[in-house]
Amino acid sequence: MNDIITTACKFVTSSIGRKILVALTGACLLLFLVGHLAGNMTIYGGDPGNGVPSWIDAYATGLHTMPAWLLWAIRLGLAAILLIHVVLTLVLKIENVNARTQYQKEGTLKATLSSRTMVLTGIMIFCFLIFHLWQLTVNGDPANCYQHIVDAFTNPVCSGFYILAICCLFMHVRHGLQSVFQTLGLSTRKVRPLYNIIAVLFGLVVCGAFISIPVAVLCGILK
Amino acid sequence: MKDIKFPVSDYMPDSCIPDGPIAEKWTKYKREAKLINPNNRRKYTVLVVGSGLAGGAAAATLAELGYNVHCFCYQDSPRRAHSIAAQGGINAAHNYQNDGDSVYRLFYDTVKGGDFRAREANVYRLAEVSCNIINQCVAQGVPFGREYGGLLDNRSFGGSQLKRTFYSRGQTGQQLLLGAYQAMEKEIGKGHIQMHPRTEMMDLVVVDGHAKGIVVRDMVTGEIKSYAGDTVLLATGGYGRVFFLSTNAMGCNVGAACACWKKGAYFANPCFTQIHPTCIPVKGDYQSKLTLMSESLRNDGRIWVPKSREVAAKIRRGEMKPSDVAEGDRDYYLERKYPSFGNLAPRDISSRAAKEACDDERGVANTGRGVFLDFKDAINRMGKEWIDGQYGNLFEMYEEITDVDPHEQPMMIYPASHYTMGGLWVDYNLMSSIPGLHVLGEANFSDHGANRLGASALMQGLSDGYFVISATLPTYLTTQTPGSVTTAAPEFKEAEDAVKARIKKMMDVQGTKSPDEIHRELGKLVWEDVGMGRTKESLMDAIEKIPAIREEFWTNVKVVGSAEGVNQELEKAWRVAAFLDFAEVLCYDALNREESCGAHFRLEHQLADGEAKRDDENFAYVACWEYKGTDELPVLHKEPLTFDTVHLAIRSYK
Amino acid sequence: MANLNLTLKVWRQENAQAQGRIETYKAKNIPDEASFLEMLDIVNEELVHEGKEPIVFDHDCREGICGMCSLTINGVPHGGKKVTTCQLHMRQFKDGDTIWIEPFRAQAFPLLRDLMVDRTALDNIIAAGGFVDIRTGSAPNANNMPVRKKTADAAFDAAACVGCGACVASCKNSSAMLFTSAKAAHLNLLPQGQPEKNKRVLAMVRQMDALGFGNCTNQYECEAACPKGISVDNIAKLNRDYMIACAAEAVGVFA
Repeated sequence: MNDIITTACKFVTSSIGRKILVALTGACLLLFLVGHLAGNMTIYGGDPGNGVPSWIDAYATGLHTMPAWLLWAIRLGLAAILLIHVVLTLVLKIENVNARTQYQKEGTLKATLSSRTMVLTGIMIFCFLIFHLWQLTVNGDPANCYQHIVDAFTNPVCSGFYILAICCLFMHVRHGLQSVFQTLGLSTRKVRPLYNIIAVLFGLVVCGAFISIPVAVLCGILK
Repeated sequence: MKDIKFPVSDYMPDSCIPDGPIAEKWTKYKREAKLINPNNRRKYTVLVVGSGLAGGAAAATLAELGYNVHCFCYQDSPRRAHSIAAQGGINAAHNYQNDGDSVYRLFYDTVKGGDFRAREANVYRLAEVSCNIINQCVAQGVPFGREYGGLLDNRSFGGSQLKRTFYSRGQTGQQLLLGAYQAMEKEIGKGHIQMHPRTEMMDLVVVDGHAKGIVVRDMVTGEIKSYAGDTVLLATGGYGRVFFLSTNAMGCNVGAACACWKKGAYFANPCFTQIHPTCIPVKGDYQSKLTLMSESLRNDGRIWVPKSREVAAKIRRGEMKPSDVAEGDRDYYLERKYPSFGNLAPRDISSRAAKEACDDERGVANTGRGVFLDFKDAINRMGKEWIDGQYGNLFEMYEEITDVDPHEQPMMIYPASHYTMGGLWVDYNLMSSIPGLHVLGEANFSDHGANRLGASALMQGLSDGYFVISATLPTYLTTQTPGSVTTAAPEFKEAEDAVKARIKKMMDVQGTKSPDEIHRELGKLVWEDVGMGRTKESLMDAIEKIPAIREEFWTNVKVVGSAEGVNQELEKAWRVAAFLDFAEVLCYDALNREESCGAHFRLEHQLADGEAKRDDENFAYVACWEYKGTDELPVLHKEPLTFDTVHLAIRSYK
Repeated sequence: MANLNLTLKVWRQENAQAQGRIETYKAKNIPDEASFLEMLDIVNEELVHEGKEPIVFDHDCREGICGMCSLTINGVPHGGKKVTTCQLHMRQFKDGDTIWIEPFRAQAFPLLRDLMVDRTALDNIIAAGGFVDIRTGSAPNANNMPVRKKTADAAFDAAACVGCGACVASCKNSSAMLFTSAKAAHLNLLPQGQPEKNKRVLAMVRQMDALGFGNCTNQYECEAACPKGISVDNIAKLNRDYMIACAAEAVGVFA
């Protein structure tokens, strides 16, 4: 038993071990994104203009009908995953900054903009997340979800912030997704380009779909 | 021209060759050799200078055995020693190809390749352990080239009719050195070796006639320090940079070997220096080194220069493209002079022929010192793909350096100094004439005679390091009380003071010429006079001019900076000073050896067909030079060479 | 052939403790056939004649194999042309260019003087486990152990690393993952390296961490800067091997 604990401690303090944890939690968050998006897309169902309630109201209400313990377990689980992801990344980042000495003239051959701004986009997404939870979960009413969203996004500042945050999410996912495969050792020269394409496509589809909601509100498609 | 009469001594240290039939000497030696109890080994301190194939392998092996090892190298890591640059491969008598190889054949080819100027017993031992080297390296994880069946592949190399050369693409030296380096790091990690990188050996410390320590300069702090040990192993490589331009690394130098020579170790056969025919020509005065192109290119390239000086001049000025020279205006001089050999004439012959063509002002390259190596016919015959399959990486490398695509225009090549067969004299135990000083690898004179065959240098370095020294070292160590000498002995202080004084002296000159300028001057002179073709006149010219350059060094060198801390100018100056002290003995040896053999070619001594004309009656000996002072003639000691197994014959590859 | 006139912005620093600074030099009449280091030789020769101390930089074989030369050129180790600095030629530059020359920078590579840094940390990683622990003289016949040609070739590709440290110097995090993973992959791929595989991986990674290198963030800047084209596939492999080794250690498959 001691061996397992010792190894586990060494694992979570080693550079590769922590990277693997970041990758695994990142992968979970990517899956969450997909689930969340699928839920969000129900906003396009129904016809609230003509009195048919949007499906998203039913979806939101449905989520709240699950047992409270399960709901909270999911919420806390997600929070834990997010926390591990964020804290470990920040610790790694601090180490990375300390390991480096600045050049007077910096040059870059291959590192993408998204890979170099991971922490920045990550922080941006985190801030957005707090606001997002406050706006739509804490102050939300599941039964009246559709109207709440439309009201919120009618405000251009709110929509702008949302769109900006999702753009950051795209940048984050674009590097993060293919990075997961590399860190978990599932990458080779032959498949790496494929991962890159998947990362970009995934990012475009998911982020595009998220952004479509405030855009639709602003354009008056959803009202 | 006055003659030089060298003082000759009758005294010659015993070469300690075991008696008995040649094939049993090494077995017999090992059977009867002294042993040291494992518990006692750690009491002995071994100082290894150099971390290349010989030094690295020796340090690792001796540390495994339990000796207390210190290893020194001037590079920032032992992995960078110049053994790393060897391209072609390493020979071994495994006979994996079933083409009739055997220890005897490898031995025979090496003795013959060395033009009968190597010691038979040493060469036989080398051939004997060659297979162990391959086994050892494979077990270490050296990725040798393999066949689809999973077994090791072999190449064929110059001077043999068999495929016995093991290789790792074009980077065999690198992979072998990394093997030795990893073995060393393993022992460093265990605390059995203390590694001293960025440390240059400045002098040898001799106490009561025995080599018991070294003085070094810490190249980071500039501190002069001493280390005491029970024996010193010198594995510092060759002296090819006496020519300034060579294929050696910038740091390769004769300093340590020269210091040992001055302390009484004999320098043997210094005139045996190998000039490699296929290097990229010199570009200009600023050039620092020459790059070797594998000799294998001569299998498909045709060597030529223009027939007329006018055309050559036009090409040099860039007014004409080499590919536009009409077939009838080209002189394929090797094919013309040596019809049976053509472009595959031996290294020494093709090197000299290139020099002759350039001396005739028909050379190309902007300096006029270059000849063409043309693949046009081979490309027309076999196609571009085939050529790329054979030589792709070499073509790329050439284009990278010269910006010329060898598919379109012929390559330009010129000979360059590459390897030195001569070195400090050692007996069968690899011990020099100073008891306790052992010399390994290229730094000793032992196994290659007057000429080294391709793929033999790596074999010798590793043989000395992995297998020979570990067996022969106890022969000396058992006569010594471990730890009997410490750095407290007055000889250490004396040697340190002498080093400091010499450094101060060269720094105090504050003249006008940089060490590199003087080195270049020396190199140019030695290259012209003692390079490929030597005559009495050229040698006398060099002997006359070298002291003048040395004088200029000590009165007009400019070493900027201080002796403390990093000072690369001081490092260069120190090394140039050693080359200046050493250069004359190279000329003396070449002058004394009134014959041509292997790489030593005296124009006065050649056969009608331009082949080397040996004089076995008078010169079948190892010329060992004892230092008597920088302005004094060295004393010649002769170790006679007897050939009981391989019979003396004219070396012919026709 | 043409001659170039260049402006050099060179990092000068007397020793590890001193304050470094960028100094400007004119490199005049540099033949475009010269290598980058020969260009510096020419500049240094002039400095020496002026009685000034020349620019200190590491170099040795000058044929791209020893790995001793370093230099970060315009922010990219070795100049980013897939060759070592000694094989970089001046024809890659234009007349009038300004070239920034800095040392290989990383906390794990302490600066010694000017452009010279101490890369002993890389040796320390090898000493931790980058070897096959066999004794000289104990090896079996070389052909007793067949190795698949593909495996041998892959091991060679990883073993071609020259240990220059460009991967660390180019990495935005100063991570030594490419170096460590290449050496580990070389030995882990071969059958000779199997008995110690897990031990090696754990020892090398832990040593790497202890030496103060940063953590890999999969930017592949190292692969782009590597003069020998070492692939980041090795990093993926090391990650994989590390997971396996940790699992093995935890459950006691090897102790």
